[in-house]
Amino acid sequence: MLFNSLGFLYGFLPSIYLVFWRFAGKTQRWMTLAIGGYVFYSFWNYKFLVLMLFSTGVSYLAGLALLRWQDPGLRRWCVAGSVGADLAVLGFFKYGNFMAGNINAVTSWLGGRASLPILDIVLPVGISFYTFHTITYVIDAYRGAITPTRNLFKYAAYVSMFPQLVAGPIVRYRQIEQDFENVDRAHETANADTGWSFFVVGLVEKVLIADTIASIIDPALARYSELSTVDAWLCVVGFAYQVYFDFAGYSDMAVGLGHLFGFRIPQNFNSPYKSTDIADMWRRWHISLSSFFRDYVYIPLGGSRGGRLLTYRNLMLTMLLCGLWHGASWIYVTFGAYQGVLLILTSTFRGTWERLPLAARRIGTFGVWVVGLAIFRSSGFPMAGAMFQKMFTWHAGTAVVGGTVLVGMLTVAAGIAHFGPNSFEMHHRWSPGWVGAIAIVFGLCLFMLYGSRPAPYLYFQF
Amino acid sequence: MGRERTHRPVWRLGRVIPCLLAVVFLVDIVSRVPSIDPLTFRAWEALSRNRPPGAAFEPNRHYVNPWAYGDLASFGNLPELRQYRTEVFTTDALGFRNPPHVLGGEVNAILLGDSFAVGSGVSDDETLSSRLTRLTGCVVYNAGSDQGRVVPNEVLALARRLNMRNRLVMRLYAEDAAVPPMPTRRERVLWELEARMPARLRALIGRLRGLVAVGPLRVLSGRAVKALEDDKILPNRYAGYVVNATLDNGDPMLFQASEVNNFYRRREVRLDYWKWLRDTLRPARFDLLVVLVPSKYTVYRPFLVDHRPGPGAGADYLDRLERDLRTAGIPVLNLTPFLSAEAARYLQHDRYLYLLDDIHWDPRGIALAAEAIREQWPLADAPCSTTLSRAVEKP
Repeated sequence: MLFNSLGFLYGFLPSIYLVFWRFAGKTQRWMTLAIGGYVFYSFWNYKFLVLMLFSTGVSYLAGLALLRWQDPGLRRWCVAGSVGADLAVLGFFKYGNFMAGNINAVTSWLGGRASLPILDIVLPVGISFYTFHTITYVIDAYRGAITPTRNLFKYAAYVSMFPQLVAGPIVRYRQIEQDFENVDRAHETANADTGWSFFVVGLVEKVLIADTIASIIDPALARYSELSTVDAWLCVVGFAYQVYFDFAGYSDMAVGLGHLFGFRIPQNFNSPYKSTDIADMWRRWHISLSSFFRDYVYIPLGGSRGGRLLTYRNLMLTMLLCGLWHGASWIYVTFGAYQGVLLILTSTFRGTWERLPLAARRIGTFGVWVVGLAIFRSSGFPMAGAMFQKMFTWHAGTAVVGGTVLVGMLTVAAGIAHFGPNSFEMHHRWSPGWVGAIAIVFGLCLFMLYGSRPAPYLYFQF
Repeated sequence: MGRERTHRPVWRLGRVIPCLLAVVFLVDIVSRVPSIDPLTFRAWEALSRNRPPGAAFEPNRHYVNPWAYGDLASFGNLPELRQYRTEVFTTDALGFRNPPHVLGGEVNAILLGDSFAVGSGVSDDETLSSRLTRLTGCVVYNAGSDQGRVVPNEVLALARRLNMRNRLVMRLYAEDAAVPPMPTRRERVLWELEARMPARLRALIGRLRGLVAVGPLRVLSGRAVKALEDDKILPNRYAGYVVNATLDNGDPMLFQASEVNNFYRRREVRLDYWKWLRDTLRPARFDLLVVLVPSKYTVYRPFLVDHRPGPGAGADYLDRLERDLRTAGIPVLNLTPFLSAEAARYLQHDRYLYLLDDIHWDPRGIALAAEAIREQWPLADAPCSTTLSRAVEKP
């Protein structure tokens, strides 16, 4: 079930909203959220509820053990066991076939005959996100950053809270623990205005901007070999805005839904296209993921504490893993490597770069980001190679159908992304005139939802 | 001392957006109550909306649309290729496409199958059952439905409700239909339950299902979005569902993309369904005749300007199926050679056997198929009481 679907807007959301606010007690509200999250998830595939239940159960028990055990050795084993179990499930479902395929390829290349079976595995939606929720919980408990909860419903509600369940943001327990604790004191109407404001902003970003751009560039990219140089650039730049408004829109809807239930989900996109270098970009883009990799991979590897070469190694390893997180494919690993190289170059030439005018740095940062997205959007290396060839050598070709609308949409999208305020910079207190205008735009979104099948979010596949 | 009241503005998002959602939802619900006939481009959608369980369509309906057009032109969002025609579609009290009086008289054969059997795209007097009835003088009951519902239980249940003189079942199988699946135990139980339901309850279920499934708001907004997706303002995302090909004479002809793909994909012939169908009908003394209908692409591919070279891996699917059915002792008539030859002959006069903008055959194709069926199994030569087994014994 998607946030941008009529079933969600007319069925699930009103139901859980009414039940949630009908209850006054903490435990009742935690239970409502936990059960609601499981119901929400079951609309995709109820069989995978077992995985979420397993991940929740293991990390909950690990939290209880960490509360009780003070012996460092035991605590380490506890964390290793819990995180290992989580990663094993994630690894099997997300990377099992990828690893088997690569082992088979290498074995065959070496002249061997071993062949691991390629299984018919369906990737459970959201597994990368809720697994990271549980991992951060256990590690933070181990580090003493949080006090694990003894209440199973509270913890289950945290893992399965539907606004953040299937595509993030990866909200850490410490970021939202206070809201869980005060859930019985949350005020319905006080949160509703802000919540709906965030939600409508997100819906507009997703339905009107991202989906419209996608409707033009997706058919064009499906025939990428026919693209001209201009159209190849239009498509890649279009994808840059599509992926931004798609995921930022989803995140804003998640934040809005969180507000409707009294939760302040943290910001996930802080105007990334205003970045002045790639490091800045990663501080602003998918903040919950990049900060996860910073805090749980880069810093434990040594961060920037071990000299230049070690820092470069850590940056590269972190970005390779970040790339791999996006999908079990070498194309994503390549995307991660590209970002790693850019971060190393940024670190090396920071002084020179910072002497450039602000506009040049922003344009340059956006430019290299767009080039990286050409890799990210490609279905494989042949497509990536063809796209680069199209982009960097002159090619004539057929024009993109809907090119005029695309240019118009890109102009609007660029204006908002590069110059406009992001949703957290808005005050969300609208005058009656603005409320009317927002209602009209929301009505337009509803019209689009009625007229076409809701488009899934790009980040669901990750 | 009264309670202190805080005034919150009415025009705030927390109130306006939920109210707007509620209003649109209510409009959506209310708009589902009246008939959707004016919003439909052909009979199929209008009459299958409120289909009760066990029926093919809404019973006792008479639908007339002077501006009906083909499903492929609709699916592919190609308004410029629509071929407008009048479609008259009548259903009987049991929810099948027959004139109401058929139920009161004697029936000699039951025609089963999918939309080809129903006669999608043509009017009542042009369907295969109507043609066969006229040609042979024996009443053929049209029990065509969507493909998943052609099961012996229903035939037997239907036969109990009809005044059957003969016990013949003709099962039309269109080339592009999926290999009919064997019903699961759960499905059989559900069908049993459906068959035992009172008619009123089934009608109510059909009505409720129609209310839930189809909403005019969705239809209207879908049309508006499709109008924008005209390959000029926005790309036509539906274009991939159909193949727009050109015939040797320059006329455009639409094909379903899946039927084109089927032609180039080797399909496995499975007989389990057919044997099960025969074996289930046999104890009730029903004879089975399988009629194989080629796809439009199979028939017209040789006459396309830019058809893919080489024989398709799936081109001989119906031939293999015919051979295997014969080997299994199941009477079968493959219309492929006949319709292919006739299509070539008629094309010289710019006339067709299939609708240009639709998957299905046209009145001419149906008439020719009826002739072929009559020739292969001469109903007209034998009294309607003759069963198939006796007829095929004839030299």
